[in-house]
Amino acid sequence: MARAPNGNLRLVASGEGGGARAARSPDVDWSILMAHGQSGDAAAYRRLLEDLTPWLRLYVRRWFRDDRDVEDCVQEILLTIHAIRRTYDPARPFGPWLVGIARRRVADRLRKTLRTHGHETDLGEDDDHAATEDENRHSLDRDKLMGAIEALPPAQRTAIRMLKLEEKSLKETSGETGLSIANLKVATHRALKALKDMLSDRSEMK
Amino acid sequence: MITSDLIRSLAEDAKPVRRLRPPLLRAFGWLCVSGVILGALTMWHGVRPEFLDRMREVAYMVAMMSAMATGILAAVAAFMVGLPDRSPRWALLPLPSLIVWLGNLGYQCLAGWEPLPPGAVTAGAAASCLTTLIFTSLPLSLLLVGMLRHMVWFRPTGVIVLGSIAVSALTSASLAMFHPLDATAMIIGWNLGTVLIVFAVMGLASRIMRRRRVQD
Repeated sequence: MARAPNGNLRLVASGEGGGARAARSPDVDWSILMAHGQSGDAAAYRRLLEDLTPWLRLYVRRWFRDDRDVEDCVQEILLTIHAIRRTYDPARPFGPWLVGIARRRVADRLRKTLRTHGHETDLGEDDDHAATEDENRHSLDRDKLMGAIEALPPAQRTAIRMLKLEEKSLKETSGETGLSIANLKVATHRALKALKDMLSDRSEMK
Repeated sequence: MITSDLIRSLAEDAKPVRRLRPPLLRAFGWLCVSGVILGALTMWHGVRPEFLDRMREVAYMVAMMSAMATGILAAVAAFMVGLPDRSPRWALLPLPSLIVWLGNLGYQCLAGWEPLPPGAVTAGAAASCLTTLIFTSLPLSLLLVGMLRHMVWFRPTGVIVLGSIAVSALTSASLAMFHPLDATAMIIGWNLGTVLIVFAVMGLASRIMRRRRVQD
């Protein structure tokens, strides 16, 4: 072991000795944890990945603003670390190895996002405008329909209102209005036909 | 998937792995095995009779030496570039000898161009050339692919190109010893041509996948 200029202990030899545990530099801690992880120590390996994640989030956030992009990229880096963990040599510092992988995955992800953004159109202020216009049209349609229902003969109007708008059953409607079920069915059928004619006429007149 | 879940599943999957040996040692190992394979092939074919005479020619010797150097340096670079904590500038290591090798080849083509008598290079001869070449370079390539398979995750392009240069150069140097015709151009065409085809297929596949994903 040698003492680095900043006073932190640095692991130079490949030893995984307990003395190095006292090291303050995360680089050394990570190096030791990875060495244990390479020999199959799942707990040490999990601690390493958990320790790395916040650091990786900070690193990745320099390039991505969207939280989903950041998280996806961090996960890709973790997967790569896992896949090529045998390429890490504990005799060498951990930082450059980690940054090498992180930089590579960030570059891949940047390329991918640039490509997808090419297919997307940005919705600016027009977005709000479009929504209001759509709502207007919706309420216009409703007014038109209500007007047409009002113009129907009374029996048909009642049938439509109670059966279709209030969604009552034929039995209930029959009981309340005194009309027979057969009459209600006929009235509904005629009403729907009349409404269809009225509304299509109007749209043609437009 | 939430990151903490991913970490948990990765930790559960943390089987012991064997650390890679230092890259120089691995490159040396590959070069030794390649040397044995190429040596055996040379023995089997028999060294061409005029080999010693030709070694006295400067151009021939430069071609042999620069091809060997390119092969060795490109192999070292391939093993270096594939590691996350080594500089990508290692890829430039074989460049000087590569320039000498290809420059010498180009110069020979221009200066020593003699129109071959018709029928000197027949389709049959070219085919046998190609077979020799495939049988020489294929074991080297397969071995290299096996040793560098983890590089798929990291700088695959650089590693593949450097690996093919290494195989081409070594094959070319050894073929010069037992093959009566200088087949360097064919060797480079075969090795790097395969790389280009692989890249083209990969590019096309990724483009199709992307289009499909956009349509979804």
